Amino acid sequence: MNEEKQKLELSRRNFMKASAAGTAVAALSGVAGRAMASDELPFDREHDIVVVGGGGSGLPTALFSRWLGNDVVILEKAGSPGGTAAKAAFWYWVPNNKPMRDAGMVDNKDDYMRYVARLTRPQSYDAASPKLGLSDWEYEMCEAIYESASPAAELLAERDALPYRHCPDVPDYWSELPEDKAKKGRVLVPKEARPSMSDGGRVAIRTLTAAAKRDGVQIRTGERVVKVIINSKGEAAGVEVETEEGTRERVKARKAVIFATGGFTHDPELRRNFLNAPVYGGCAALTNEGDFIRISSDLGVQLRNMNYAWSCPILLEKALAKDGSMSGIFTMNGDSMLMVNKYGKRIVNEKTVYNEMVPTFFQWDGDRAEYPNLVMFSIWDQQAQDNCSSDEYGSPIVPKGGNDRHVVRGETLEELATNIAARLDKHASDIGGLKLSADFNLNLKATLKRFNELAKKGKDLDFHRGELAIQGVFTGPVKSNRTGNLTMYPLAAKGPYYAALITGGNLDTKGGPKTNSVGQVLNNANAPIPGLYGVGNCVASASGRAYWAGGSTLGPIIAFAYRAANQAHKEAARS
Amino acid sequence: MKPFIRRTPALMMLAASIGLVDIARADDLAVAQKLATNHCAVCHTFDKGGPPGQGPNLFGLIGRKAASETNFTYSDGYSKAMTGKVWDEQMLDAWLTDVQAVAPGSAMVYSQDDPAKRQKIITYIKSLH
Repeated sequence: MNEEKQKLELSRRNFMKASAAGTAVAALSGVAGRAMASDELPFDREHDIVVVGGGGSGLPTALFSRWLGNDVVILEKAGSPGGTAAKAAFWYWVPNNKPMRDAGMVDNKDDYMRYVARLTRPQSYDAASPKLGLSDWEYEMCEAIYESASPAAELLAERDALPYRHCPDVPDYWSELPEDKAKKGRVLVPKEARPSMSDGGRVAIRTLTAAAKRDGVQIRTGERVVKVIINSKGEAAGVEVETEEGTRERVKARKAVIFATGGFTHDPELRRNFLNAPVYGGCAALTNEGDFIRISSDLGVQLRNMNYAWSCPILLEKALAKDGSMSGIFTMNGDSMLMVNKYGKRIVNEKTVYNEMVPTFFQWDGDRAEYPNLVMFSIWDQQAQDNCSSDEYGSPIVPKGGNDRHVVRGETLEELATNIAARLDKHASDIGGLKLSADFNLNLKATLKRFNELAKKGKDLDFHRGELAIQGVFTGPVKSNRTGNLTMYPLAAKGPYYAALITGGNLDTKGGPKTNSVGQVLNNANAPIPGLYGVGNCVASASGRAYWAGGSTLGPIIAFAYRAANQAHKEAARS
Repeated sequence: MKPFIRRTPALMMLAASIGLVDIARADDLAVAQKLATNHCAVCHTFDKGGPPGQGPNLFGLIGRKAASETNFTYSDGYSKAMTGKVWDEQMLDAWLTDVQAVAPGSAMVYSQDDPAKRQKIITYIKSLH
């Protein structure tokens, strides 16, 4: 049985285990008396606000809730707080942020809304329409980000939970679009992140966790929430927890339960049934197994935006190995580097921003009945190995001495192809037996010749490599004296050559139960389920397919954390 | 183990109690291993000579000089804070309490408030010799 199938079995078993436990509780309440609602069973502990998940969504949510005077606990399934955010660069995209305003950089709401609408629903975008082609819900959610991301970022900074550094020169991902009026300056990073801005996550988790402890948020790890307890009035009254030591506990929430448990990147069954692409996983924390999708399936919620993910190319072999430390490939490093498919053909601009690169891997060839680009091969020469390596942003070209188990080597192009083929065979059962085509070597030589001609001119007439501002930001280092188009350089006529096997993956998924703009989970009648909230990748993002800019995951997350905490604080406390 | 004791009441309590202590230790170690696996194995290997993951192999950690594995590239933050130190239980406890407080900028992000859980992880890592 291959690993994916095992995981499928496992996730089914876990789900059944959780359901069975639910039945046991129901049976027990039956014994105690039919009218007894499940919230009348004894609770082991109680708090005002129970935050489920201690990552980039849960920690800010818990802090905002605590600062309003609530008794707050975080229940984290993993051994430590941090989640996906711990290994992220933790840029956060904050429209009209304070440093922008202080510097006189203009970022009007109307312009911001046009930019996000243009990218979120390009097929219905209409600048003249009142909601710009967005649904009412999408419009309201996008407005909320503009209104609240900045106050949230300021409060986190003022309380020393997340001091930041403004990045006035970082452009949005489509700064060339006429709708993008504030082209630069919306990105903040944790203050002590490296100058290269790659390690903000570990800084942010450190400062957020320290603030949580300082201010009296209780953080409990190894505690997996398996069920929301709904009382006789239909309110979320608490949760059931399974601990890593095998005990089961009931935790009461006097005011609210706020889910911040991440998406379903690591649940193969949910991936298979909701994502419109055969994704192998991604760089989300391994604990992002769609818990809230399963838990909320009892509650009459509306699942939205389930078909999209925050996407990035990933190294196939790390994804198959379920390497929890894996980063997405945010920079496809290398100038003398190109990427080809199984036919030895170049089919995409290698420097295309990560989220936008991913659909190329999943193009379907209806005549051949195959995904011709499911696994592609970045190929580079010794020059790129010597001058373009990096251990940041998931670069496939890593420095000497680093973990290079994903790198295939060959003295000649033919040997490289032979070695790539051997790697593919090793993973045959996971990739549908994908093999290099018979004319791979021939095509690869022609591809290289063409690429080298274009690189000499510094102009990629085929795929326009390096022409957008953001591609210059995400290209990685090159030899210091280079001029011209720094994203391209001819590959050497002689080996050695190197390659990596690349496919499309997730940072995390972006679908889940629909919430309103203050984080309340909505039922099928579009009314809030009292006391039940959701923030971050475990609930529906209103961004559709779009990845507006670096940090458009975490910027909105802190905005909704802030809004959800403020709303939850207003709930009447159940004694 | 209970039926064994019931069946053989004549066995000296002294001998039985030694056996119980061993069994209790084995149980503790099993729990410790489970916890250490949950908490550490995403990034670390435990077996002798195992390859590094995102973090170095942990076999023989206690008593080892920090930043001394030759097949692993340590982050600058880690090297700066840890070079010259030798791992002992106390240092490991501080490390597990909050890595980033001990070595700001280290590639590892982990914190554990519960002293009992930290102790179990330390128990398992100590056993890796």
